[in-house]
Amino acid sequence: MEPEQEIKKNWHDKYYKILLIIPAILIIFSFVYMINFYNQHGDFIKKDISLTGGTSVTLYEKLDVFELKQGLQDKLQDVNIREIYDLISKEQKAVIIETKSDGETTKQILQEYLSYELTDENSSFEFTGSSLSQGFYKQLLIAILIAFVAMGLVIFIIFRTFVPSIAVIAAAFTDILMTLVVVNILGIEVSTAGLVAFLMLIGYSVDTDILLTSRVLKREGDSLNKKIFDSFKTGMTMTLTALFSVLVALFIVKSFSSVLAQIFTILAIGLGFDIFNTWITNVSIIKWYMKKKHG
Amino acid sequence: MAKLTFRIWILIIVLILSLISIFGLPPSFLEKGILITSVEQNSSAFEQGLRQGQIITAIDGKSVETIDDFSKIIQEKYLSGGSPEGTAGGSPESSLGGKEIKTIIQTKNSQIIFFSKQAPEITISNIPKTKLKAGLDLSGGARALVQAQDKKLSAEEINDLVAITNNRFNVYGISDIKVSPVSDLSGDRFMLIEIAGATPKDLKQLIEQQGKFEAKIGNETVFIGGERDVASVCRNDATCAAITACDGVNGESVCNFQFSIYLSESAAEKHADVTKKLGINESAPEYLSKPLDLYVDDKLVDTLLISKDLQGRVTTQISISGSGFGETQEDAYSIAKENMNKLQTILITGSLPYKLEIVKLDAISPVLGEQFIKIILLAGLGALLAVAIVIFIRYRKFKESMALLLTSFSEIIIILGIASMIDWNLDLLSIAGILATVGTGIDQQIIILDESKQRASLSVKEKLKRAFTIILSAYFTALVSLLPLLWAGAGLLKGFAITTIIGITIGILITRPAFTDIVKNIEE
Repeated sequence: MEPEQEIKKNWHDKYYKILLIIPAILIIFSFVYMINFYNQHGDFIKKDISLTGGTSVTLYEKLDVFELKQGLQDKLQDVNIREIYDLISKEQKAVIIETKSDGETTKQILQEYLSYELTDENSSFEFTGSSLSQGFYKQLLIAILIAFVAMGLVIFIIFRTFVPSIAVIAAAFTDILMTLVVVNILGIEVSTAGLVAFLMLIGYSVDTDILLTSRVLKREGDSLNKKIFDSFKTGMTMTLTALFSVLVALFIVKSFSSVLAQIFTILAIGLGFDIFNTWITNVSIIKWYMKKKHG
Repeated sequence: MAKLTFRIWILIIVLILSLISIFGLPPSFLEKGILITSVEQNSSAFEQGLRQGQIITAIDGKSVETIDDFSKIIQEKYLSGGSPEGTAGGSPESSLGGKEIKTIIQTKNSQIIFFSKQAPEITISNIPKTKLKAGLDLSGGARALVQAQDKKLSAEEINDLVAITNNRFNVYGISDIKVSPVSDLSGDRFMLIEIAGATPKDLKQLIEQQGKFEAKIGNETVFIGGERDVASVCRNDATCAAITACDGVNGESVCNFQFSIYLSESAAEKHADVTKKLGINESAPEYLSKPLDLYVDDKLVDTLLISKDLQGRVTTQISISGSGFGETQEDAYSIAKENMNKLQTILITGSLPYKLEIVKLDAISPVLGEQFIKIILLAGLGALLAVAIVIFIRYRKFKESMALLLTSFSEIIIILGIASMIDWNLDLLSIAGILATVGTGIDQQIIILDESKQRASLSVKEKLKRAFTIILSAYFTALVSLLPLLWAGAGLLKGFAITTIIGITIGILITRPAFTDIVKNIEE
């Protein structure tokens, strides 16, 4: 294993600056994509009804999704229908109807269509007024912003050096940016829970960066490459356990809870980018910084 | 030989306390019987002493251990057809024509002899195995976020609104309800209403109604609640507001209350005007022909006979009475006192001076609740297994890997223990928070493990100290980033922040130090 490592390190010593081109290209692409997206949609994300306002109805019934959509399309605003099924037997358990219409209207129209009364034995209703959900959206964005700034401050307090701190913050930022781009490319409609997942990402993505930076800056003795490689081993174990467990959880809850499924999807994407942003972007910047400082 | 250090002891003790907090002592899963989750108001079941929270252990001497046992016995006794799941129906068509059936219901603490033509009007469930409470997005229930229409309410106004609403729900006999004031990041104030279990059918109307009190004679309103008509209400003064008498009826107690109110001049005149036109009650000649009916939001809550001496007189002082029923005299007394308090509050507060608007209304069916919780447990287990696999592959050492997994597992138990202690309702986001914490917890334990394996020149203690600086930094980053969530979105996302903050704090105070010592033990 040793010689292989040597080759790898030498290779890395030679090309680590050039490696920075990859994140640079991705960041430029992400920015262009997001600007474009913003111009098209007037927002950074596609919002689901928990952020735009509307009603989500769950009917505990076996119903044909296609037929239901045909029947309700003209009566309700922006209808979207999904199904919930049992993970193992694949048996349909319920359908979820999402619409921008308000709760009362939706209930009436559904009762007319199904010709039976909807009670809490056979259905669930969730209605959010549009002004409230817009308030939610604004506040969650503020929360994410505050969290990010607070995170940045803590990083500066811990490391007290400019370049390494900025590298950590930049890695976290690009992590969120790239995840956002992928979420938009996949066409995911983000819910309040989805925004909470972005907030979680801030914490998860700086973990490995903090580990790397504090080992490189504060540990004495070992060579720079050894410090980086040791952190890489630890950091990869951290991210892979998280990623792997999130994927398993996602697979299990996918059919049942859209709330948890979205949280796990966003976390999985973010954790994937975290590997890239920590071990390519952040490593290259800090290596550059250390070499320049110590010759 | 492994030694149990102070920190490991703390972990063990907290772990045991958490298990007690989750399961109770003695553990509730060892209890036999079924739990009464609700009793219909004013039903014969209620009158004969069945109450929410009682545990039925036997009926007519036959032991009852499951819902099925209960349904079977009740069905045999009362019903010919099937009964709806989990309830003992009380619908008119299921009652036997006219014959009262005697049923001896043995509860954990008492025996109730139940006489009725129909099955007891109660809903039942199995005794919950843990003291953990699931949030209403998991277990079902209703939640409403309410704002004043076109008006920004002050903190004081919101508190008044909450008090009035609480009283109103009590008047309607809806229990298991939590009304609280909440505010969000942009300073808007809301009233949050949460109801566990079944959603009241007319919840929307109930909330939006303004809480008006009316005292009517026939169709004519004599006075309404609030300062304009009710000048003052005697309260907390035994000379004019008291429980007057208690009585036992059919093994049940009833207590009566009475309190005085003072009408304003104009309301008193109105009273005189209206009573002037009345005749004498034929069946009870000392009273007038029509009673004074008290309505709250158009619902009749009490009927008072008017003494004939009062006819046509401008009296400002009126005596209001009512009663409370209970299993024991003590119960009846406190219920009567509570009823008196409700009525007094409505009379004092009157109706709300503004219209309410429901800005969010969720009514979640309890139908899939249990299945949902199973799926989440499965997901948690799956995730832990996934962690185990990665850890074993990376370290290939049984002791270290097991220590890591067990510490993480105990962290989950401690979070749940604290959640159960502070009566926190675990909703979906709380569970996401627990997963997030355990995820970061495992990450930090990996750091501890790896730091302890670093160069031999440093002492183990020194190495672990290094690990702790990294972990402490991560802790503060996480903590500050979670704080805004406590307020954002009117606190509906609080669950996530609360469980995560509990989790990471336990991590830094209890599990991480203990894990450090465990690793030290293994390494040395």
